[in-house]
Amino acid sequence: MRRTDGETILLWTLPVVAVVWLSAFLLFPGFVQPMSPTMSADEVAAFYRDPENLPRIRYSMILFNWFAVGLIPILALIVLQVRRMAHRTPIFSYSLLACAAGGPTIFLMADLFWLLAAFRPDRDPQLTLLFNDLAWVTFSTQVGFLIAQSVILALAIYLDRQPRPVFAPWVAHFNLVVAALLVPAAFAGTAMTGPLAWDGLLTFWVRNAAIGVWIAAMAVVLARAIGSQRVADEAGAA
Amino acid sequence: MNDKRELWIGWWTLVVFYNLYGLLFFVITRTQPPPQPSLEPAEIGSWFADRHYGLLYGYAVVSIVGGATAVMNATLAYSMRRMSVSRAFAYSYLVIYALATLPGMLIMGVVCTVGAMRPDRDPEIMSWLYDFAFLSFEGTMGVFLIGSLVWMAAVLLDENHVFPRWFGYLSLCNALTEVVVAPAWIFKSGAFAWDGAIAWWINMGVFVTYTTAFLTLLRRLIEREDFGTGPLPDLATDPGPGPSGAMKSAG
Repeated sequence: MRRTDGETILLWTLPVVAVVWLSAFLLFPGFVQPMSPTMSADEVAAFYRDPENLPRIRYSMILFNWFAVGLIPILALIVLQVRRMAHRTPIFSYSLLACAAGGPTIFLMADLFWLLAAFRPDRDPQLTLLFNDLAWVTFSTQVGFLIAQSVILALAIYLDRQPRPVFAPWVAHFNLVVAALLVPAAFAGTAMTGPLAWDGLLTFWVRNAAIGVWIAAMAVVLARAIGSQRVADEAGAA
Repeated sequence: MNDKRELWIGWWTLVVFYNLYGLLFFVITRTQPPPQPSLEPAEIGSWFADRHYGLLYGYAVVSIVGGATAVMNATLAYSMRRMSVSRAFAYSYLVIYALATLPGMLIMGVVCTVGAMRPDRDPEIMSWLYDFAFLSFEGTMGVFLIGSLVWMAAVLLDENHVFPRWFGYLSLCNALTEVVVAPAWIFKSGAFAWDGAIAWWINMGVFVTYTTAFLTLLRRLIEREDFGTGPLPDLATDPGPGPSGAMKSAG
């Protein structure tokens, strides 16, 4: 019987936080029908003042505030798998650790701006518009750490040259595809309408779907890698 | 050198990134050298209007490549792992510089994008965005101050000769520029303002010297690297047919 190291517990936190994320996403009225950047200051202020919307904005963003960092333990488990790869230096695992804090921190900044906009909805509509813009631009354009995370992971997998690599090569290809799908969102500031706008097909739907699929796929791959690591450890110990 | 490809990936990421950073900040967004803090709200409006597309597209590219800093910091943290000092130095450096990305460029990118995307925004708010952008960028000192001091201490204490001692003193100069930039929070014009001779020009001069120095030294470190422990060997005059060192995994 192996000693409890807690990795399984960390892994199983993911489905729980994923349910919370999905609920918060559906609860926030600005996501289900993504808010358009073309809304005027008065329309944005009216959105936050609407008694139907206001509690949903606050509760959803409080949920995100609590659980946005819930992905970090999963990223830490991925770092541990990268440590098992046949590399000469810890550069890839260090790089992934450096990225792990970046994504959630940026999301928390956006979350703060949304909560601030909702805190005093009676403020001057120009200020509510400002907080709303800061939230959406931070949320939409700041894909750098997520892109880096996928590219670094792909490189780490490609350079993991051993008979039984930790992750299969398709995981690397998949990460590169995800990284490519995140790139257009960086341009959200350049368009008020169309696919690049922050409510557009590429910036909102494709990007968020790519992040969702990445989390789901990586969870499965990670669970398998941890599973086979345990089998190998037990065979080695026997 | 196949064994060193991870190190070379890190080194080339640093070189490409710093060149791109210069291009994006000085040429495309034209946010460096910084404008005067003393502009009136109306002038700030035209400052944003003048570089509308540069800000929007330039900072979009910054958002895409910003994560590359993770690889750069990891490579520099690795250089500290090769030193005789505790792992705490490498880990501190890694965390501090992961954090530094936000004030070092990402906040500026978000704020300039928000400013540029609505040219008709209330000028008073544009003026606040302008201050936010430049003070987050020029006036966030601690991460670079402590980060440089951690590196300095590691270099000066190291017995493996990973970096020469003079680089430790250069790190101290870089740290001190973060001290002299503090008056940028107080002065709106003159040598101490965020665009001033002391707060900006000396700072940038030292930073460019420091960056050029560590890129050169890091390159030599990679060439000398033997993946062993103890003192780093001198640069071999003839590398011979291949590395003779035993395969050791670092981690």
